[in-house]
Amino acid sequence: MAQFFTEAAGVLLGHRTRSLLTILGLIVGVAAVIAISVLGKGMAGAVNGVLGSLDDHSFFIFPNARQGDFSRAAFDYRDVERARRLIPNIVVAFPAGNVPRIVTFGHHRARLAISDDTNVKLAAVPLLYGRYLSADEVATSAHVCVLTNLAYQRLFPEGGDPVGESVRFADRRYVVVGVEGRPTQGILPVNFGGDISIPYTTYEAEYLRSRPVLSARFIVADPDRMAETEKAVIAYFKVAKAGRSEYQTFDRRSFSTVIDGIFAGLTLVVAMIGAVSLLVAGIGIMNIMLVSVTERTREIGVRKAIGATRFQVLLQFFIEALLLSLTGCGIGLVLGLAIGALVDRFALVAISGVVPSIPWLQSVGIAVGFATLVTLVFGTYPAYRAARLDPIEALRYE
Amino acid sequence: MSESAGQAIAIRDVTKTYKSGALDVQALAGVSFEIAPGDYVAIMGPSGSGKSTLMNLIGCLDRPTSGSYRLDGIDVATLDDDALAAIRLKKLGFVFQGFNLLARTNAVKNVALPLFYAGVGRREREAAAQRVLAEVGLADRGAHKPSELSGGQQQRVAIARALVNNPAVLLADEPTGNLDSQTSEEIMALFGQLNAAGRTVIMVTHDPETARHAGRVISLRDGRIVADGPPAPEGPSQESPVP
Repeated sequence: MAQFFTEAAGVLLGHRTRSLLTILGLIVGVAAVIAISVLGKGMAGAVNGVLGSLDDHSFFIFPNARQGDFSRAAFDYRDVERARRLIPNIVVAFPAGNVPRIVTFGHHRARLAISDDTNVKLAAVPLLYGRYLSADEVATSAHVCVLTNLAYQRLFPEGGDPVGESVRFADRRYVVVGVEGRPTQGILPVNFGGDISIPYTTYEAEYLRSRPVLSARFIVADPDRMAETEKAVIAYFKVAKAGRSEYQTFDRRSFSTVIDGIFAGLTLVVAMIGAVSLLVAGIGIMNIMLVSVTERTREIGVRKAIGATRFQVLLQFFIEALLLSLTGCGIGLVLGLAIGALVDRFALVAISGVVPSIPWLQSVGIAVGFATLVTLVFGTYPAYRAARLDPIEALRYE
Repeated sequence: MSESAGQAIAIRDVTKTYKSGALDVQALAGVSFEIAPGDYVAIMGPSGSGKSTLMNLIGCLDRPTSGSYRLDGIDVATLDDDALAAIRLKKLGFVFQGFNLLARTNAVKNVALPLFYAGVGRREREAAAQRVLAEVGLADRGAHKPSELSGGQQQRVAIARALVNNPAVLLADEPTGNLDSQTSEEIMALFGQLNAAGRTVIMVTHDPETARHAGRVISLRDGRIVADGPPAPEGPSQESPVP
């Protein structure tokens, strides 16, 4: 058996240029499919990296964009609070949003968005310094804050641990208790909070003061019942606005559905590229194998006269086709992985901060699968033609 | 090796008819003869006489339309393609006019090819090939490719390939057709040696000079045997005597 492979390799190396040109289509096709599948995996990783900061216990409600008077759909703290009390499964409900303020520390000033601490419950950004707000601080409407990395850089450009320092917005002082690390900036511009988080009780008392907002956040106790809770909240707000306003909710799952749809489309495109390249490459290989069989008619006659069976002749040409396909798919595999990894490295990692894993097994599977399929579909017929040549006529062939 | 029939080759009333369009062409019109082990037989005849057809039948490349053919005691007239391939592998050695060596492959590997199809391991078959190459006087040419060898040397490699599976019958089709007279003599001497060592040799030729090396000449014309006996003595007449 090994001899079959060495001999086939010898034949193919004897026609180096021809062999290379034959498998070019296969190389390009396999490389394209693998590069795109590596990228797809990388994209999925990046999106998950972004969504990782959105936990599965939360959802948002906001007015449906397709309605005449958008501002009429605004609601205030009382609406949200009533919904929380009436609808089961809701732990925390709070109007979302933020207010811009000039914030100072010493002689450093920056215009930053002040927001409530619901963000802290939603985001899973690790802390650089200090801690998150405590339950006690929330209960007592304390004047404490957690800085995002952006706020920290603006107010403390010299660096160092700012915990215990006070920052000032307008006439209020807030003691810094924690600093968030650098967030994973996803490929989707999702920003759930402001630049500085303060207890939501403090936020309500100082800034919101029952003014209407366009969005609210809900945290549920049982994420499995999130869908029905969302429906109940939408129904509640519609009734509260006498049916004149439309609302929609947004959570991790609905977001995932959108992303899944995009990937399904991408997968379909990849599958089509794969099928077309498979067909073209396969026809190329079949063509060259038929030429090879014709060229070597006499040799086939000699082999048969010497005592080679039909199956042994079939095997010889089949293995040549297999080697061609394997080589093409192997080169395509390496090329595709390299392209995919490079784009991952320089594009996806840069925007998402997530280093995607390379789908080795899947890629090797694709390459080997392609090689096998091409050989079976397009290598069998030339090999069969060789095998059923009549030895007498083959020996007479000039 | 079975000696039940006592003959290397026993052919009885063999006919061969080809369909050529609507026409039936009878290449062999009833041929019978026997060849004993150790015989050296030349088959002669002008083109169209049926000698190539007979050669193909003897070589198990084709099946007779009717009649029986026993090769080394085995009835091969009705075997299927794969069984015929096995017979060619085990019982026959072919030497062609055009040598028909694999161009990209060195002498040892060319000679070892039948053993490859017989499923012999690489080391073993190349050792056997080297041994047979030494027998035909090419012990030092094993690593050479056909293009690096002279015509006579190539034919020796081809003969070694025909011998490597230790066949019951060595079949040669115009073995000197592509060689000059000097080299032809050497090749014929080699066949003589092989026959002297007990090998059954059957050779197809149209050249009476070549046929004279054989111990027996079977002459064909129009698909029938017209003469079967010792070769004609050297002389001006190029015609085989009719008995």
